[in-house]
Amino acid sequence: MLAYYLDLAWRSLRRHVVLTALMILTLGFGVGASMTTLTVLHALSRDPIPGKSHKLFFVQLDPRKLAGYVPGGEPEGQLTRLDAEALLRAGRADRQAMMVGGNVGVEPVRDPGAAALPATYVDARWTSADFFPMFDVPFAAGRGWTVVEDEAAARVVVITRELADKLFGTVDAVGKSVRVNDTAMRVVGVLDAWQPPSHFYDLSVGTFGVAEQVFAPFSTSVALKLGRSGDVNCWAHSVTAAKDDDWVYALDAPCAWILFWVELDRPERVAAYRDFLIDYSIEQHKAGRFERPPTVALRDVLAWLDHKQVVPDEVHLQTAVALGFLAVCLINTVGLLLTKFLRRSPALGVRRALGASRRAIFVQLLVEAGMVGVAGGVLGLGLAWLGLLAVRHQPTDYAPLAHLDLPMLGATIALAIASSLLAGVVPAWRGCQLPPAIQLKSQ
Amino acid sequence: MLHMTHVSKVFRTQVVETHALRGLTLEIRDGEFVAITGPSGSGKSTFLNIAGLLEELTGGAYLLDGVDVRGLGDRARSRLRNEKIGFVFQSFNLIPDLDLFDNVDVPLRYRGFTRGERRRRIEAALEQVGLRSRMHHFPAELSGGQQQRVAIARAVAGEPKLLLADEPTGNLDSQMAREVMQLLEALNAQGTLVVIVTHDPEIASRAQRNIHLVDGIATDLERGPVLIDPIAARRSA
Amino acid sequence: MHVRPILSALRRHRTTAALIILEIALTCAIVCNAVFLIHSRLARIGLSSGLAEDELIRVQLTGSDKLADPKETARRDLAALAALPGVRSAASVNMLPFSSATWWSDGSVERDDPATKFSAAMYMGSENLLETLGVQLVAGRGFTHDEYVDYESMLDDELPARAVIITRSAAERLLPGKNPLGQRLYVSGKTPKTVVGVIDRLATSNEGIAMTEPSYAMIFPIHAPKIAGHLYVLRVDPARRAAVLGAIDAAIAGVDPNRSVSSRQPYREIRDEFFRGDRALALLLTGVSIALLAVTGFGIVGLASFWVQQRTRQIGIRRALGATRGDIVRYFQLENFVLATAGIALGVALAFAINLWLMRHYPIARLPLAFVPVSAGLLWLLGQLAVLGPALRAAAIPPAIATRSV
Repeated sequence: MLAYYLDLAWRSLRRHVVLTALMILTLGFGVGASMTTLTVLHALSRDPIPGKSHKLFFVQLDPRKLAGYVPGGEPEGQLTRLDAEALLRAGRADRQAMMVGGNVGVEPVRDPGAAALPATYVDARWTSADFFPMFDVPFAAGRGWTVVEDEAAARVVVITRELADKLFGTVDAVGKSVRVNDTAMRVVGVLDAWQPPSHFYDLSVGTFGVAEQVFAPFSTSVALKLGRSGDVNCWAHSVTAAKDDDWVYALDAPCAWILFWVELDRPERVAAYRDFLIDYSIEQHKAGRFERPPTVALRDVLAWLDHKQVVPDEVHLQTAVALGFLAVCLINTVGLLLTKFLRRSPALGVRRALGASRRAIFVQLLVEAGMVGVAGGVLGLGLAWLGLLAVRHQPTDYAPLAHLDLPMLGATIALAIASSLLAGVVPAWRGCQLPPAIQLKSQ
Repeated sequence: MLHMTHVSKVFRTQVVETHALRGLTLEIRDGEFVAITGPSGSGKSTFLNIAGLLEELTGGAYLLDGVDVRGLGDRARSRLRNEKIGFVFQSFNLIPDLDLFDNVDVPLRYRGFTRGERRRRIEAALEQVGLRSRMHHFPAELSGGQQQRVAIARAVAGEPKLLLADEPTGNLDSQMAREVMQLLEALNAQGTLVVIVTHDPEIASRAQRNIHLVDGIATDLERGPVLIDPIAARRSA
Repeated sequence: MHVRPILSALRRHRTTAALIILEIALTCAIVCNAVFLIHSRLARIGLSSGLAEDELIRVQLTGSDKLADPKETARRDLAALAALPGVRSAASVNMLPFSSATWWSDGSVERDDPATKFSAAMYMGSENLLETLGVQLVAGRGFTHDEYVDYESMLDDELPARAVIITRSAAERLLPGKNPLGQRLYVSGKTPKTVVGVIDRLATSNEGIAMTEPSYAMIFPIHAPKIAGHLYVLRVDPARRAAVLGAIDAAIAGVDPNRSVSSRQPYREIRDEFFRGDRALALLLTGVSIALLAVTGFGIVGLASFWVQQRTRQIGIRRALGATRGDIVRYFQLENFVLATAGIALGVALAFAINLWLMRHYPIARLPLAFVPVSAGLLWLLGQLAVLGPALRAAAIPPAIATRSV
């Protein structure tokens, strides 16, 4: 029977080509626009480190002055150097890492006679030993540095595959030396390709499309004054931008500029670590360093990204607009299908008289609606693909992320079918409810 | 075959209540050729719609080929309609989007015949009405009489026991009307029960039996008023 | 013609009428908000920076961190750049309007009085900054030579400058009814800064984005080449812009070859880049609005055609009874007007609901009432245009149809 319905649907759709094309086009554009924006939204809100995001926590304390304190308010976004180093030393989490971004000139250490190569300026990350295992950073060669090297401010560096290739022409750069802002440092590790979808571990230097190529111990960066990038908040005077890096570097500077992540493998460890942070704050309060009552925050990766609202407003806005557009397209398709089916009332009445049950008519009309839906869905899929291509050519930093992955492909097809069924059910229902007797008389 | 007892039909709108049939009792047997006559508004169409299971009755009982149709669901009624009844309408009611072959195919599809069986029946039915050679033409390409013959072919392709015709010659000129009537008579001769609703006395005169409806009450013109008691009705036949 | 028969006819087609009303309502609501968003984004894109935009080139250096005397190198850089043919003047600056780098400080009119708090975009630069940027001084004077201080001389809590130049809007809002010259503002520290001049306009770096506090651009007489990473701005003869762009690298290398020029861009480009997102969104919303109106228009055409077909006989009877073609056309127009009005009424309510929701989640202003008649008019017009074709077809139905039986 399905073959019969498909045949009937095909004839009916072919008889009104313009109307059919109009329905397929509107449905296709509605689905295409929605899927484009939903895919971008999905890509931007994706878990950057699946499987581990619930074990990694961002640490916040509040060492600011009492002025401006609001009970229950948000603590300072970053830590002071003193607090970060204290928490690192305490080692109360399964793993912990302090970090800040930087930008340095790097060049290979050359033979005295070789031609001078201009320095390459790249983004850098000054962090501590646990960074690599914590964030599952893959190594192509060598290793990360050790806690001992952290403490000794060792002249060691980890570079990316890409940089190794650029500086030395080979990935096998372990043991070679690079000049980082004029200081020779030994390469201990080369990273394999590693590009989490968002720069979740430090949003202050950008959210998407940011990638460091040089990693070195934080202690080394301080000792060599390698510079830092990202936000600095100082509360001893009101200039928000630091006036001088040297001053910020001071251990007791009233400036927050360091990010601190911990790995807590079991839920009970989370509560324990939070208690530890509160105890630490109370201790600092007693010592007179912290003026505010203990205010701490410990958010896992997804909660932190949510709190920082990493998905740009316009992406949400575009999604809302596209869904509204889809709604109008759907209503339009419902209306067109309904008028089309009602226009055929006499023929439907004849079919009823000749023995078609209501159900048979319903299925027949639904098959026709479904056909429009499938065509609209296929068109929508194509348009979504084109839409994503267009998004990837936009000059936004999240552009490279706009890809249709398998779950979104499934979602697109599901959305198209659901939309068409939704658009078809009401008209098909109305069509099969027509009383046959009236239709036969009044032709 | 067609057995109605105290059948009534009331149409209700918010304003008025119309009694289209008031306690109609009659019996029509296999193989008869019956004409239903009556002025407009007498309930002819309502009778046809109820007899053809297109509408439900308000009160009374209706047995079609021994099956009590009261309380049957839509699928069972549709099944009965498909297997036991053929319809011929005043305005032919062919489906304009389908050619003759596909028009005749419609009831056979719902019957669930195999492809070969359907083809055999369609060709036979069109042959019977003399239009086999034009089976891939569309209704609009045919004259009214031809269209009505296709409608008859469609009605009988499934070999129903009962053929309900609603003013089948109403839209035809006398020559075409005669052809259609001859066709119906031939079908009756092969054993199909034919019930024609008409207000044309000439057509009615060609039937074996005339039932006259006035204000929803039937009178058998040859045998006097249709009796209330079905057993008595059978005895008098 | 009366509305009552139309209403009773519509009652008989409740589902289709409800669908078209809903479609018009949704379209009206979305288009209302879209037009408002487009309008506000275009307003942002059109914001004036206050600069002589067509004449400016921004030059950013790298490698300056190795310099022994950053201030002196900057002075020599500027001298070299100013000497290039086509360059009218050159200055160092810490940021330019409509760029990502931002320097902010809290300030207040009365010392430590939170009620008079504001936030100041802090512009700092070398002595000829005002002339180079091309900002218009409307009152007071520029900075004198001895007002200039070095950023590095800042004590922990105090911005070293004693003088400030503010914009006209800052003067009007912060010091209403007063002669701003000589007034004191507390910006970055406990010592007040005296207003010495008022400029017509200077945009903050991210103007147009909703801020929690009122923000104003202020210029301070502070040399800060090192902390700003040697950012220069050149005012050039627009006709010789290309030649200047080509000569910059050599001029910088001539002063000290250990640095390099990381970017040299006409200010227009910087500005365009800054507003690219707004332009993209405005374009997208325009496209969606047009698509929405088209879809709804086709929906109306489809529905009206169906109704015309369904009422063919009825129309023929009306014509036979004396209705003119105009009467028939007007019937369908009036019917469409009734549907559109119902849709627009619902749509306007929905538009404000959507606006309220948007306001809760995004930095968006309240939908001004003026956008309602615009969108309503647009939809009324669309409805009338869409129904015209089917209505004319209806009017062409001959009265003879009434006498045909089938």
